[in-house]
Amino acid sequence: MAREAKTKKSSKLIALSASNKAYEFKKPLEKQIKYQGKMVDIKLHEDPNGFSYIVWKNKKYLLDVIEKNQNRYTVMINGVWYSFTVETPISLKRRRYLEEKGEVSSMVSIEAPMPGKIIDILVEEGAEVKEGEPIIILEAMKMQNEITSHVTGIVKSVSVKKNDSVMKDDVMIEIQKG
Amino acid sequence: MKIKSLLIANRGEIAIRIIRTARKMGIKSYVIKTAKEPNAWYLEEADEVIDFSESFDDNTPEFLDIERIISNAKKNKVDAIHPGYGFLAENPDFARRCEEEKIVFIGPSHDAIYRMGHKTIAKELARANKVPLLGGSEGTVSDAEEARKVANKIGYPVILKAAAGGGGRGMRVIEKEKDVERMFTLCTNEAAKAFNNPDVFIERFVREPRHIEFQILGDKHGNVVHLGERECSVQRKHQKLLEESPSPALDDALRKEMGEAAINIAKSVNYYSAGTVEFLLDKDNSFSFMEMNTRIQVEHPVTEMVTGIDLIEQMILIAEGKKLPFTQKDIKLNGWAIEWRINAEDVQSGFSPSLGTIEKISWPENEHIRVDTGVRDGSVITPYYDSMIAKLIVHGENREKALQQSSLAIRKFWIKGPKTTLAFCRAVLQNRNFRKGKFNTSFLSKELKLNYHHEPDEELLAAFFATYDFARGIQETEDKPLYVEKGKEIAPWVLNKRLR
Repeated sequence: MAREAKTKKSSKLIALSASNKAYEFKKPLEKQIKYQGKMVDIKLHEDPNGFSYIVWKNKKYLLDVIEKNQNRYTVMINGVWYSFTVETPISLKRRRYLEEKGEVSSMVSIEAPMPGKIIDILVEEGAEVKEGEPIIILEAMKMQNEITSHVTGIVKSVSVKKNDSVMKDDVMIEIQKG
Repeated sequence: MKIKSLLIANRGEIAIRIIRTARKMGIKSYVIKTAKEPNAWYLEEADEVIDFSESFDDNTPEFLDIERIISNAKKNKVDAIHPGYGFLAENPDFARRCEEEKIVFIGPSHDAIYRMGHKTIAKELARANKVPLLGGSEGTVSDAEEARKVANKIGYPVILKAAAGGGGRGMRVIEKEKDVERMFTLCTNEAAKAFNNPDVFIERFVREPRHIEFQILGDKHGNVVHLGERECSVQRKHQKLLEESPSPALDDALRKEMGEAAINIAKSVNYYSAGTVEFLLDKDNSFSFMEMNTRIQVEHPVTEMVTGIDLIEQMILIAEGKKLPFTQKDIKLNGWAIEWRINAEDVQSGFSPSLGTIEKISWPENEHIRVDTGVRDGSVITPYYDSMIAKLIVHGENREKALQQSSLAIRKFWIKGPKTTLAFCRAVLQNRNFRKGKFNTSFLSKELKLNYHHEPDEELLAAFFATYDFARGIQETEDKPLYVEKGKEIAPWVLNKRLR
């Protein structure tokens, strides 16, 4: 009990980037953040029906949460998106522990970026793929689009066939990062 | 004859663009409403709307339905049809049907569309008029085996092109013999789908050329002028991402030579209306004819910005039978214009389309900036049409000034909703060789290390925002009871979608 009480008061949150970089913030999140050892002003202007932006070192950065699923976030800032998982010190510790034991999935799904029809599948289960390698040809918007892998690894499963129709975000292929 | 009303057989930004000129000229505009975009902005801008929205037919898209468009044009007694770009713009049958029904087609003759649309005929015409060409197959190739033979004869790399193609679609480069079969299948499939004609031909593929095109205008009295060139080398898979006029690669002598070649091509089919002659320019400044596009182009605004000529207005006047009001020596190029295509695409995952609602859009306004768009707050980018959001066209007295203005405009061009190519535009602007004007069609694959520009602190700020939102979420679930009437807080277009 004593321990749990301590957790609740825990005054930190950590945003973990896709490349495993940890950004630590003190709770409650206020008007300054630690930057290169110093506290620096950060001004957030929020407008749910308009544009939200941050003023940082006298520059405006337009930003928006474009995807949110529990603690997983994708934030667009000045037109570039970044993905994070937001962790508490405890959940981060658990995550690191599981990672060490290899229990955190390193499986990456390749999802259909838009509704369309599968014209061709260029890889088979067990095939090695490199980042940027075309793996599926999807016809959508009257174009045959090469869908490329955004990771390097091994194809674990292919869940579509030639001529299948797919909806946006349907999982087409799963790749084990490696 | 004087055109008093016109039907625009198109949608989006080009429909709005044509409506603006029609209004200026006192012409009543008609547009077509489809079930795929029943709330699109162009419908409100037009004087009259013809409703095609009762049916939702994916097999015969509305803007390709020749007889339906013609019968509605007749029912509404419109004088003329402007096809815009894409859809029926380069369909000779459509132009011919308009003629048969005594509706003025605002474009060239159906014969000119047919001959320039058929790439092997177009190449013959160029050869006959002593315009330089790339080597390649004589006519189309019928199967992968023949393709392989021809390709082996010319030497790799070669390019497969759809005979009925255009707009950068239906083209595949073959680097090695072993790829011939796969590429042939891909190319013919795509050609059959996109152009209703699976015929393809082969050409020598020039490595790292520049893509230069000339805008021409011709009237029905045999006068043809060119309005200078457009530099379209920054492409991804033959899709143009930005265009400028003039090109940093041309001097007056080369401009004159290429311009005259473009005029000769146009004259070979008695061309009238606006058209574009595309060339490849090699490193030694030799050029070869690629194709002629017999329509208004997406990138026409850069030419309008440097020449001061309204191309849509000229197309309408030419269609009425008027003579061109200028000759070649009257055409002056003033300053420099660049068009940045802002598409709903995810540049961080290979430019895949990023559909969805434009929740909010805004851009800076001043005398250097023109924005052509078919969207506004709440518009939806659907999977049925292209992914263009807007064209940002910037003018400066020289290239350096145009680039400076572009940086400012792109930084203040704000879009909330889908992922866009704005970060790509910033990456291009940061590139030293682009700034110096030294680039060609390999720019994306060779010059740009990253397809998007990001600043050092952006990830930190994004992390802050995610954490902030997450912390607030925890706070809210702890503090507040759930509201039943949640709909109150939802933006109206989101709600619309849910109710549907």
